[in-house]
Amino acid sequence: MAASKNPAAEGWSDKCKRIGREMVKRRWMYFLLIPGIIFFTLFKYVPMYGLKIAFMDYNQYNPSQSTWVGLDQFIKLFSKRSFIPVLRNTVVISLLKLIIGFPIPVILALMMNEMRNLKFKKVSQTLLYLPHFISWVILSGIIMTLLDADNGLITTFINKIAGSRIMVLTDSKWFVPMLIVTDIYKGMGWGTILYFAAISGIDPQLYEAASIDGAGRWKQATNITLPSIIPTIVVVFIMNCGNILNAGFDQIFMLYSSHVYDVADIIDTYVYRMGIEKNDYSFSTAAGMFKSVVAFVLILIVNKIAKKTGNEGLF
Amino acid sequence: MKNKISGTTIRRSNGERAFSIFNYIFFTVLCVIMVYPFWHVVMMSFSSVEATARGGVFLWPKGFNLDTYAKVFRDPSIWTGYTTTLLVTIASTILGTLFTATTAYPLSKKDLPFSKTLSLLVLFTMLFSGGMIPGYLLMKNLHLIDNRWSLILPGLISAYNVIIMKSNFQTMPESLEESARLDGANDVTIFWKIIMPLSKATVATIALFTAVGYWNDYFSSVLYINSKDKWALQAVLRYMLTNTNQAMQSAGVTVAATTNVTAATIKAASVVVATVPILCVYPFVQKYFVKGVMIGGVKG
Repeated sequence: MAASKNPAAEGWSDKCKRIGREMVKRRWMYFLLIPGIIFFTLFKYVPMYGLKIAFMDYNQYNPSQSTWVGLDQFIKLFSKRSFIPVLRNTVVISLLKLIIGFPIPVILALMMNEMRNLKFKKVSQTLLYLPHFISWVILSGIIMTLLDADNGLITTFINKIAGSRIMVLTDSKWFVPMLIVTDIYKGMGWGTILYFAAISGIDPQLYEAASIDGAGRWKQATNITLPSIIPTIVVVFIMNCGNILNAGFDQIFMLYSSHVYDVADIIDTYVYRMGIEKNDYSFSTAAGMFKSVVAFVLILIVNKIAKKTGNEGLF
Repeated sequence: MKNKISGTTIRRSNGERAFSIFNYIFFTVLCVIMVYPFWHVVMMSFSSVEATARGGVFLWPKGFNLDTYAKVFRDPSIWTGYTTTLLVTIASTILGTLFTATTAYPLSKKDLPFSKTLSLLVLFTMLFSGGMIPGYLLMKNLHLIDNRWSLILPGLISAYNVIIMKSNFQTMPESLEESARLDGANDVTIFWKIIMPLSKATVATIALFTAVGYWNDYFSSVLYINSKDKWALQAVLRYMLTNTNQAMQSAGVTVAATTNVTAATIKAASVVVATVPILCVYPFVQKYFVKGVMIGGVKG
């Protein structure tokens, strides 16, 4: 214990000994960590190591016979004409979701915050959060029913307005707007929660002072509530930017068909079809790895930008 | 405080009153939009073939009958799906919550050697992952393909939940543990007898997050399970929605048969069968989810 009094002066071996003693003393803590360490190693880090097959020509019948091919899979990925449209679809769909969908929860939270009837507020919150907990499988069942080509409620409605038969789920022009609308439907309510958390942290004295100075509710909302939740808005925006290559696998996987591959095939669905359906493991791993690496770099960049502009980053 | 708020309410301007009325109308309409799709499908599942073929708005069942449900429940895959989902959800919720806590507790001790490094390694899994194919090949190498453990294991602990749990443990006063340690208790005892009972709210939240995740999981079944009778409910439902004709056959409906059942009503009824449990539990547990997000904050 004497050594810990002056850690700067202690030697390397003393330091090791001290840490070793501390570890022995707290061995039960490490005992608790065992399941976690096994889990994260086996199910998170081993698959990361498994990315090596992106640099191989993986032989699925005899993996030890696989050969190293360097960057060939990636070269194939970008020379293959089918991947460029996939990449474009991914970015287009998620950018549209971000641009159109991102401001909605902010506006909803600000509007809801103005409600004085707490019971009404509570009920509408409960209903707005609901779709978040419903899987895309179930939601897509509902969407298929409402958009049924023959007698779906929404199809009938659209056809009456447009005056022609439009089949949303198999029409390349309508499929992506449908994805955006249903994505907003599922996520907008739950998206307000983080803003509510931020709003509840605002000092009530600010509002009191403002109302004494004669600020109306509109002034209070734009000059107090909105500025107070800007750090939250920035962090949520960062997280969404890091997700730019996640265009929503479950949603698209459930709803798309070969009719709309030209606009709806995204990296994840492409990886699934190439890897699991066509057993081209190395090639699809390369496509998936491209996505993971770009997403990782993106999130580091936006995090840095957020910190530079004086906001709190994600980590 | 209360007086202050009602005081400002009285002094509302006309514009503010107009906005308030608009606000209530807006959210009423929004709530109807949120609920109606579910309502529509439920009512349709109780309706007759002729009515569903005509389409339109379903405020109530048109031509009420239970034929579709009789068919859906005759389909064995609904029952096997329910069994798998229940088993998997229960096992995963217990194991996942327990292991999330046992991982988070040591990591919440900043003075524990290597806890910072390990925390970073956990955080890193949120930012980068091996992806679909390496995960699939891992399951194959572990010989877990077509085994229900493949539905449980890969998602057992999430980095996000560990972080929520960790920040909860960090709010606990150190003095509690100190006095127990003086009485000779070791860290496992302290964790189990003192820390966990005091963290009931967070534990409940994590358990609910985990349970919903597993209840809604269909993709693990699609990826790892070949035999249909081991699929989880959501995967069965997906099959019914995307392969209606085969699904109808397995429910004993031939396409040509003149029964009171069509693809549309089968779809509607199977959606209802898979949704009802969530809708029943949801209003009661919703507040825990909100709480969980509040604890976790946006930041880790």
